[in-house]
Amino acid sequence: MPSPPAPVSDRVNHNFSFQWAEINRAATLFVLLLASSFILGMIERINSSPWPEAVVSGVNALIVLGFAGLRHKEIVALLGVPRIAWRNAIELTLLSLALLALMSIYFALIEYLGVPMLRAASEFQKARWGLGAMVVLVSLMPAVVEEMAFRGVIQSSLEHVFDWREAWIIQAALFSVLHLLPMMFPSHFVIGLGLGYLRHRSKSLYPGMVLHASWNALVLFQELS
Amino acid sequence: MKTKWEIDESTAVDLKIGGFAKTELILNNKEIPNHLTARRKSEATFELPGGRHAKLTIEPQFGTSPLTKLYVDGQLMVPTPKNPITCGSCGSIAKPNDRFCGKCGHAMPSPESYVHEKYVNDATTAIWMLSGLFFVSGIILFVIMQSQGSDALSKLAGLDPNSQFPHPINGVNYTVAALRSQIAWEPWGVLIVNLILAIVMTILAFWGKRAPLAATLVALATYAVVVVTNAIISPASIGQGVVIKIMVVLLLYRGISGALALRTASA
Repeated sequence: MPSPPAPVSDRVNHNFSFQWAEINRAATLFVLLLASSFILGMIERINSSPWPEAVVSGVNALIVLGFAGLRHKEIVALLGVPRIAWRNAIELTLLSLALLALMSIYFALIEYLGVPMLRAASEFQKARWGLGAMVVLVSLMPAVVEEMAFRGVIQSSLEHVFDWREAWIIQAALFSVLHLLPMMFPSHFVIGLGLGYLRHRSKSLYPGMVLHASWNALVLFQELS
Repeated sequence: MKTKWEIDESTAVDLKIGGFAKTELILNNKEIPNHLTARRKSEATFELPGGRHAKLTIEPQFGTSPLTKLYVDGQLMVPTPKNPITCGSCGSIAKPNDRFCGKCGHAMPSPESYVHEKYVNDATTAIWMLSGLFFVSGIILFVIMQSQGSDALSKLAGLDPNSQFPHPINGVNYTVAALRSQIAWEPWGVLIVNLILAIVMTILAFWGKRAPLAATLVALATYAVVVVTNAIISPASIGQGVVIKIMVVLLLYRGISGALALRTASA
């Protein structure tokens, strides 16, 4: 059984070079994910097929796996069974449901106000891809990859430089801006905070992956219906 | 730009950098001839009372004021700030070059810390500038797009809302009604997006007073995302304002480095 990560206060190393390397690691992962979003965006200007998105998702997964490998001890520890009492698990489940409800209200409101919304499944539907493919590419894969990236690699790296609160806020901010749409910065920042809090309390990435995938699935099925 | 170093009670060095990078180096109110310039890296060496050797260097910094350093017998001197330096422990006023507080003995920041603080302050200024830029450009673009939108809407006025617009726009076919909604929405969309960005940068500028490293990191990430998003929407924007983009990124990057150096030095 992998040992749990050291308490945050013990992990903050005051050496400049060490902390600079940790910031660089988090920044490099962020820049690579941003670069892949840029490439996908440019391809989608001329090609509306879902294949580029599928390929880029795969490349992102490999990139994140690579960075997770550099930090494998901490990531493996976060992929263990959540270490949480039943009472706290119920509390976090209720918090997750509240977060889902809040986000649903937010997006319903902005759609009501006439804000054009990007449809995650539109390209897949036009290309007649099956439901299974859409669930994997729109719901599951982004949830797993983004949790590994932000709550795994980035938050772990940042916790070597900052206390857990600052690391928590920064990873949520990076998560929100990487979705590229300023209209979604507030909502995705709150989602990032919620997912980061789940990771902090449960010492595991699984609760966040479940919540994240659930949210993505909710969006997908709302579009399909 | 004026910088003063009070070496001791009887020795003061002043550096003035004026227009066209003209410099004046003054020791105890007497000008010292020199070849200093703010256009390139330069230095001047001179003698202080008591036989001490002084060296003043100027390094131009892209996008901000030049970095000036005074060394006396190899030791970096702290410039005299506008507000008195106070001890972080007891709050009593200390002299710029004191290593320890004269009252409580608490260690004072090293001279290098003041260089790092300059980078942090420059980064915070850049964040404020971005906030202002997004706010102003949001309003200007809104006004321009409203005007253009009105022209476009007047051309669509006579068409049946349910009919298909004859030409696809950006590869998408619209009904006339949908096109009218899109045109009416666009100026508001641009305004809201820019206001959101202005608010984000303002929050980061305030947060930067308490947590400069965290705020500057997020500001740099946000700015990078804005540049990339603009590039996706309009690839021609990649080549626009390159100098400003480089300047902002450099200022924020140095701010991160400076903030981290201050943080690890005080840990």
